[in-house]
Amino acid sequence: MAKSVVAKVFNRKITDALIFFVILGLVWEYGVKFFGIKSYLLPPLSDIGRAFIDSRDALWTHSLITLGEVLIGFLFAVLLGVPIAAIIYFVPFAKRTLYPFMIALQSIPKIGLAPIIIVWFGYGLTSKVIMAFLFAFFPIVISTLGGFASTPANLEEHFRALKASPWVTFWRLRAPSALPNFVDGCKVAMPLAVIGAIVGEFVGSNTGLGNLILLATGSSQTALTFAALLAVTLLSLGLFYIIEFLGRYVWWRSS
Amino acid sequence: MVAVKLMINQTVTQENTALAIGPAIGPAIGIDGVSKWYGGKAGVKALDDVSSNIRDCEFVSIIGPSGCGKSTLLRILAGLEPYDEGAVTILGDAVQEPRDDVGVVFQTANLLPWLDVAANLKLGVEIRQGRAAAQAQDIAPMVETLGLVGFEKRYPHELSGGMRHRVAIGQALISNPRVLLMDEPFGALDALTRDRLNMELLRIWQKERKTVVLITHSIAEAVLLSDRVLVLSDRPGRLIKEVAIDLPRPRDPSTTREAPEFGDYVVELSRLMGVV
Repeated sequence: MAKSVVAKVFNRKITDALIFFVILGLVWEYGVKFFGIKSYLLPPLSDIGRAFIDSRDALWTHSLITLGEVLIGFLFAVLLGVPIAAIIYFVPFAKRTLYPFMIALQSIPKIGLAPIIIVWFGYGLTSKVIMAFLFAFFPIVISTLGGFASTPANLEEHFRALKASPWVTFWRLRAPSALPNFVDGCKVAMPLAVIGAIVGEFVGSNTGLGNLILLATGSSQTALTFAALLAVTLLSLGLFYIIEFLGRYVWWRSS
Repeated sequence: MVAVKLMINQTVTQENTALAIGPAIGPAIGIDGVSKWYGGKAGVKALDDVSSNIRDCEFVSIIGPSGCGKSTLLRILAGLEPYDEGAVTILGDAVQEPRDDVGVVFQTANLLPWLDVAANLKLGVEIRQGRAAAQAQDIAPMVETLGLVGFEKRYPHELSGGMRHRVAIGQALISNPRVLLMDEPFGALDALTRDRLNMELLRIWQKERKTVVLITHSIAEAVLLSDRVLVLSDRPGRLIKEVAIDLPRPRDPSTTREAPEFGDYVVELSRLMGVV
């Protein structure tokens, strides 16, 4: 009859998700104990939670390092990717040369590039920034390019009828038209930048969450491995939702 | 042939500028033997030797079957489309590119989705005269005329289709153009909204007196609004006939349609278009 208090406070979306995750957690926690799985293979959830709390200082420090690498790499991906997309879109010569070059570069498995990047740029921050950049760069170029191409033809004609200069047409029409696609590209690129940084840390580093995962796994501290993985996940999620939030200012779809 | 026509046009132009003070001097729009092919002369012929002079402050409609090139003709007048033969002049000048004193209203209400109604109304002023001019532009009278009071801060997606078209027309009108070119501006709207917008269009035109060229596929709409209706043939578009509409003004959709002559014009135009 009357809606329960819980249903009033939370909507179904939240309660359903909550119930699902609680059940999943319980299955993990007691499944591991019930089947007697060794804790260095898969620790119970409570151990992971404990490791997360016990090592919170280390997790925090390493998270900040990884976060820095991701943000700088992502920033460069945007600063370089957007102008390159614009050049490919507006300069036919660049479309014939730069664009296929980009596609070819994109087809190289970037994980395979990690060792040589470490050789070139060393164990420090730079190599990880470059890995994050490499992973984030292409989605941003491709999505921004798609954004420019999605400028409605009728609005382009309208600007032509108003005798708008190419400069004005770019800033008042093409750039805003491309923004929603650009934001979509950022949503794809940000988690990829995190993967890039982690891969860079795997291959050569003595700091960062990737390095922590490697060390914890190597010394059979599996609970710490999972805690570090949780930190990576939270980092990635947080960054994604920051973009999602900023994306609310780009609410239009010019179609 | 073309050269001779151009020369004649030039002399007309000179006379025009000499007299360019009062209203109704020379043709506001001169269309002289205009032909147009798509894909070169071996391609599809869109317009075939179309000629007509449109007077200052005249309301002219162009009707014809779909694909007859009427939109092409309007785009040529707007300076958006090159043509292969003939000459087009607006206020005495050969048309080569879009002009600041010509407002164009397209089939789709071309509003920027990220700008509110006020900013969309000012867009033409902003692009042509700069940001300062746009800021100084008073939109209140236009908003009033268009019946959009209270919607200034709304965005296009929050408006009905009819309102969006009104904003698009307002954007063209706000810079007070001498010539208004409209390509089926109400084509996508329902009959009721269309009637209302036609009324508003009539009211604005009777108040502001501009040269208007309206492309439409509605014969009744053409008769209701126009001083003269140009009938184009099926592709390639040739001018079959110009029909002067001698109905008294001011006109009104409800009363003007009652007049027996209204029906006569509709029948005549339908016959010319091969509908009846």
